[in-house]
Amino acid sequence: MQILRDDSIGILGRVTGLLGSWRRLFLGAASLAVFIALWSLYSAWLHGDWPFAYRSWSQPAEYIPYPSEVLYAFVDSFTHRDPFTSLYMTSHIYASLKRMFFGFVLAFLVAVPLGLLMGRSANAEAIGKPLVELFRPIPPLAWVPIFLIALKLFWGPIAIVFLGIFFPILLNVMFGAKSVDPVLIDAARTLGAKRRDIFTKVVLPFTIPYMMTGIKVGIGVGWMCIVAAEMLGAVGGGVGLFIYNMAYQGTMYDRMYAGMLVIGLLSVLTTGAAGFLEQRLSRWMGMK
Amino acid sequence: MMTGVAMESKIIIAIAVAAVVVVGVVAAAVVLMSGGEGGSVKYITLAPKDMKANLASGQIDAYIAWEPFVSDSVVGDVGEVLMWSDEIMDDHPCCVVAVRTGFLSETSVNGTDLTNRFVRAHVDATEWMLDALADEAGANYTKLVEMAVQFTARNESVVKAAFVHIQFGYEMGSDFEEALKKFTDMYIDTNMTTEEKLDERGYESVSDFVSSYVDDFYLATAPNVAESATILNPDRPIKLGYLLGDLHQLAQFVAQDKTVLGTDKSMFEKYGLKVEAAVGAPFANGGAEMGGFAAGNVDIGYLGAPPTILQHLNAGIGTKIVAQANSEGSGLVVSAGSGITSLSDLENKTVATPGESSIQFLLLKIALEREGLDLEIKT
Repeated sequence: MQILRDDSIGILGRVTGLLGSWRRLFLGAASLAVFIALWSLYSAWLHGDWPFAYRSWSQPAEYIPYPSEVLYAFVDSFTHRDPFTSLYMTSHIYASLKRMFFGFVLAFLVAVPLGLLMGRSANAEAIGKPLVELFRPIPPLAWVPIFLIALKLFWGPIAIVFLGIFFPILLNVMFGAKSVDPVLIDAARTLGAKRRDIFTKVVLPFTIPYMMTGIKVGIGVGWMCIVAAEMLGAVGGGVGLFIYNMAYQGTMYDRMYAGMLVIGLLSVLTTGAAGFLEQRLSRWMGMK
Repeated sequence: MMTGVAMESKIIIAIAVAAVVVVGVVAAAVVLMSGGEGGSVKYITLAPKDMKANLASGQIDAYIAWEPFVSDSVVGDVGEVLMWSDEIMDDHPCCVVAVRTGFLSETSVNGTDLTNRFVRAHVDATEWMLDALADEAGANYTKLVEMAVQFTARNESVVKAAFVHIQFGYEMGSDFEEALKKFTDMYIDTNMTTEEKLDERGYESVSDFVSSYVDDFYLATAPNVAESATILNPDRPIKLGYLLGDLHQLAQFVAQDKTVLGTDKSMFEKYGLKVEAAVGAPFANGGAEMGGFAAGNVDIGYLGAPPTILQHLNAGIGTKIVAQANSEGSGLVVSAGSGITSLSDLENKTVATPGESSIQFLLLKIALEREGLDLEIKT
């Protein structure tokens, strides 16, 4: 299991000192600008607009609308009800966030204790590992039809998101609990710590950064699953349902991309919040 | 790394606080969720294949779908039909045969001629089916049921029950065009498509759009199509699109069957056609099949009228309607023993539909509006 850490930007930051954060901001903005410029060019090529004199491709130009059209559709989704579900984007976001929240809470409550147990007990690992390895690679999408029927319309989509978040947290916590430096444990034991103390004072704090990494990765995967979870039977809408409807029922690709943008932004915001919490936690625990 | 006892208690407090917050929010959300509303019929979107199981499990109180998904529940004693779609709109359009305009101008083969021949085979197959259905004691009826069982993977009793309410036919009369106009108007009313899109595709009005999108040239000239002793397109088969087990589209299955004519040739072959299932066929829904048209993977396809209309207008996918495949053949199913005997009993109940742009959804909406009821997404 790879542990993801944010070292890449750190190096630049250190080199340039105080100017580092500005530079980072500039580079970030520049990469977005280049992306949007390339996108505009590609769209122009498909549409046969300036600077291209002719329509270059047989595919309908609607497939890649201009960035401005997507931005317009994005704003429009908040100010007008969508043509299929008659809901505003805020309702879709609320519905998706609710699913993410329930899925996350469940995944957290199940994965953290399980991960700690499997990380600290060889027997537990021997029992759990085959099941984890068997179920981990199954795409949540594969479970959709049966979850919808077995777990019903409310819990079915949540269970899909749960699966996406569950495994990253479980594996990271397990890895963290396993990699506690034995020297720390010996030192605690020498100082007269009991098993319970070692667990609460050494293992648990040591695992928290790993857990936070698992949470950040898990939230990202959870958002990836939301379209699959909400494609069908989504009660009260959802951003995933919005994307599905725009793509399959309406072929309104500008709106479909707007829905994707919403997912991207939601993921940035939620993983950002987790990152912020991580920073706070590690500062509070005296690790930074 | 650790800073003594304070550290431990902080962590425990943090975890305790987090747990309390989590439990509190979950509880609050569950309480909020259970609050009911009044005044309308609620709907959710489900794939027709999942509807029967959801009706049986009590997740939904009713659903509207096409055959054989209606008879599936009826024969399985899970559901009862509250209303057939022809009771909502007599002879309403359903599945059509659409052709990709790019195929008509294909240069490696004569696309227009091949389309003409295809439509002729479709007409023959449909007439053969109508004759077979007219005489339930006949050998052809038995054969048709066999083919339907094979195509839909349903048992005989489901298929026989389903046949009763499907009106196979190819003609595109003025009623057909009027109904498509009504559907297009409804799409514009709900913003599923817009006047601007009509304009962008070069149509002046809804009726201008429908009359040019529905092209009856091929049907009109079908009687003149001659048989062909040889296959005219051996190297460039017609790529055929159709939906998974959709009984409405049985004509293409009949036209491909080599035993129907008793000459070792299928109806397609009789008119010199080599026809192959398109990449991706059978498609799960009409939207996906339109994707096949857009990508050039489908030349001629059977699908519902709504996706051809909406995706042609919204995404500019080059298709036109050249024949009808069937009309009617959908039904509103309520769970058996639910006591729902009229549309007004559906108030505040949950109905599953195949999607807001489907004919089934539009018909349900029309029927409910007559009763003064709204159709709203379940929240």
